[in-house]
Amino acid sequence: MFLKVQLPWNVIIPADSLDSEGLMLQRQIVIRLLNEFAVKKATKDHGYFLAVTTLESIGEGRVRQQTGDVLFPVVFSGITFKIFTGEILEGVVVKVLKHGVFLKCGPINNLYLSNLKMPDYNYFPGENPFFMNDKMSKIEKDVTIRFIVIGTKWMEAEREVQALVSLDGDYLGPVP
Amino acid sequence: MSGEEEENAGELKIGDEFLKAKCLMNCEVALILEHKYEQLQQMSEDPMNQVSQVFEKSLQYVKRFRRYKNPDAVRQVREILSRYQLAEFELCVLGNLCPETVEEAIAMVPSIKTKGRAHDDEAIEKMLNDLSLIKKFE
Repeated sequence: MFLKVQLPWNVIIPADSLDSEGLMLQRQIVIRLLNEFAVKKATKDHGYFLAVTTLESIGEGRVRQQTGDVLFPVVFSGITFKIFTGEILEGVVVKVLKHGVFLKCGPINNLYLSNLKMPDYNYFPGENPFFMNDKMSKIEKDVTIRFIVIGTKWMEAEREVQALVSLDGDYLGPVP
Repeated sequence: MSGEEEENAGELKIGDEFLKAKCLMNCEVALILEHKYEQLQQMSEDPMNQVSQVFEKSLQYVKRFRRYKNPDAVRQVREILSRYQLAEFELCVLGNLCPETVEEAIAMVPSIKTKGRAHDDEAIEKMLNDLSLIKKFE
């Protein structure tokens, strides 16, 4: 799900960039915020950071004693992407293996759909392997799948979300 | 892999912060990201270099999975769905998946049948009909 969030953030302007004032300073703060935002990529609580939409406020700067940098507390609005257990979404198959397939959905690249969660689908090996059921419904690379999320995990080191998904349920499966 | 109270979006158990949060449908996100990308194109020769992987993949995703493209249509979808007592989360799942029948709608968003609002089938059917009309005139 895409969320519109309002978040606090601390932007640090190094001492040697501090000779600018007014609009130039504001511009510096915005540029640093956008950079840090892009580098951070994602958090456990809010999911993946897509874009900053508005800078709501810039608070009073506080000098950091040790370094001479100035810290500006800001509040901004932005868009994030977060998936929830029980959520139904659509994604695209990126890789087919004999025990399951990997899907991509939004900025997440590695949602895993186990063959145990693909009721009545069988694996067909080959150069372009696929899963198929007896109604000739095919799951192969680049197919769109509607699935339900059955579990999510935040990977702190990679700053990524991993998820397990399933086709157990009505109206789930390949989407024409 | 779970929190204190078992997370389950189908029952709208997604945490207070997210129940109150504003959610965006794929079609709404597409308009916002496309606009941002256009702004970048005006400022730089190589806009793709300026955006994060997260932005790029998300833009690709919402362009492929949006059900409505025209900004007026997108506005109408939000307006129509807002007339029914739906949580933001439920509204967006419906706007994203565009179920064709009442049965499918309930399967996609089981919580519309609970949470003390008891949307009757007739109301859900009317909502789906209104949505499909927008699609026809897009």
